[in-house]
Amino acid sequence: MYNKSAKWYQKSGTQGDVVISTRVRLARNLSSVPFPAGLSAERRNEVTQRTREALKESDRAGDYDFLEMENMETRDALSMVERHLISPEFSKCDKGSAMLLKKDESVSVMINEEDHLRIQVMRPGLDLDEAYKIADEIDTLLDEKLKFAFDDRLGYLTQCPSNLGTGMRASIMLHLPALHERGAIQQLANTVSKLGLTIRGLYGEGSKPEGAIYQLSNQVTLGISEQAAIENLKGIAAQIIREERAGREQLRRNPRFEDMVWRSLGLLQTARLLSHDEFMTLISNLRVGVALGIVEGISLDTLSGLISDAQPATIMAAARKDMEPAQRDVERASMVRSRLTRTGELS
Amino acid sequence: MLCQNCEKRTATTFIKKTINGKTTQWHLCAECAAKQGFDSMFNGVGFDLGDFWGSLFAEPSARSITDAVRCKGCGHSFREIAESGKAGCPTCYTTFYDRLLPSIQRIHGKTGHTGKVPNSGGIQLKNERELDRLRKELTDCIAAQQYEKCASLRDRIHEIEKEENPEQ
Repeated sequence: MYNKSAKWYQKSGTQGDVVISTRVRLARNLSSVPFPAGLSAERRNEVTQRTREALKESDRAGDYDFLEMENMETRDALSMVERHLISPEFSKCDKGSAMLLKKDESVSVMINEEDHLRIQVMRPGLDLDEAYKIADEIDTLLDEKLKFAFDDRLGYLTQCPSNLGTGMRASIMLHLPALHERGAIQQLANTVSKLGLTIRGLYGEGSKPEGAIYQLSNQVTLGISEQAAIENLKGIAAQIIREERAGREQLRRNPRFEDMVWRSLGLLQTARLLSHDEFMTLISNLRVGVALGIVEGISLDTLSGLISDAQPATIMAAARKDMEPAQRDVERASMVRSRLTRTGELS
Repeated sequence: MLCQNCEKRTATTFIKKTINGKTTQWHLCAECAAKQGFDSMFNGVGFDLGDFWGSLFAEPSARSITDAVRCKGCGHSFREIAESGKAGCPTCYTTFYDRLLPSIQRIHGKTGHTGKVPNSGGIQLKNERELDRLRKELTDCIAAQQYEKCASLRDRIHEIEKEENPEQ
């Protein structure tokens, strides 16, 4: 489940100083089959097999792995949540739920989550158009065989009415340390909610922001086209990015801030025990320091890979064994040291 | 004035909604307004859709609706959908379309789908949507004086129109 080949999240992308990644998710259902919540394991299995067959008949089949949730170790499933490949709810799914995962992990299809299918595309940096384009292609390809449930008036039919219409949730993951520091996020949340968007913590609904990483996504899916929703999101994102950058410039002039960046690097390079919370705080400080050019010789790519690999379940998935938090802290500190010392001398 | 829902606390929130031309007005206390989702609609946090949908149908008029009609696709009654906030199958939306529409509008602000149409959704609808989109784009292009792009848009519009009405 965890192999070492290159993954999309080990890179940084457009506007990478502020935008960590982009995700587009489409909710789709087979017509005349009840939603997964009302299906027996056998019938869920039918949905899974039909989806698998639909992909098999295309020329894309070779790009994907088929993984059944009942055969997946809990730590592997949780690691997938940490890498944003599946939802927290889906990680608890068992018999009859499965996923199709592209080998570079940039595309995943959850089968029998809340809806029959959740097609998800991830891209580094701000890349909404490309992410949608890829999701749209897979959707069209699967629809040829599966004939998704659709109504002229309500669009794609989904279990939850909040996804009706396009069934599309487009999100961008933002690193907002300056706005977070200023206490501006609540106000931002109020403003974007009036525009049909929402801003939340790193792992979506109900999660707390870790390392000042936030998720901005569209809420409204009915009465607005995919393109319009994406343009809307882009417009708001551009304003947030501008504000964050202005905030960072102010921080840069503060000697205490520069000191904090270097201290964070020092701790990350030398600590023998790093808890998850401490790690997220320090890496957030370092990330903004790197983005501002205060720290050189460390790339945003390195940090993106590290943020993903140093998450609790991902550490265990890579080691192929379960660990106590204290053991993970040792492992995390060691991983961080080795990745941050290779990158060159410190001034 | 007392809250029209609980009839205990003072009404502090006035809610006026117009759905498909029918206007209803409510005077609610903060607590009942919150239950209906009208606090979070303005600050965007702590929005639990299940509760929201469920509480919407807890209105007196909805409580009396019987369970006589059941969805052919999954056997769900309207009450079951209202209580869970989730549909049982795609057919639920056709079966209970009229009753679900007001809450769908409350959630999204609008009701008509304007996004992607699957190929299986019918070529005619797909063309209609595409024409709408192209005509809008054409208007923008004319305003921006991008004449080359206008020409290609016009060609594409004519192509689709010809497909729709081959005899013209």
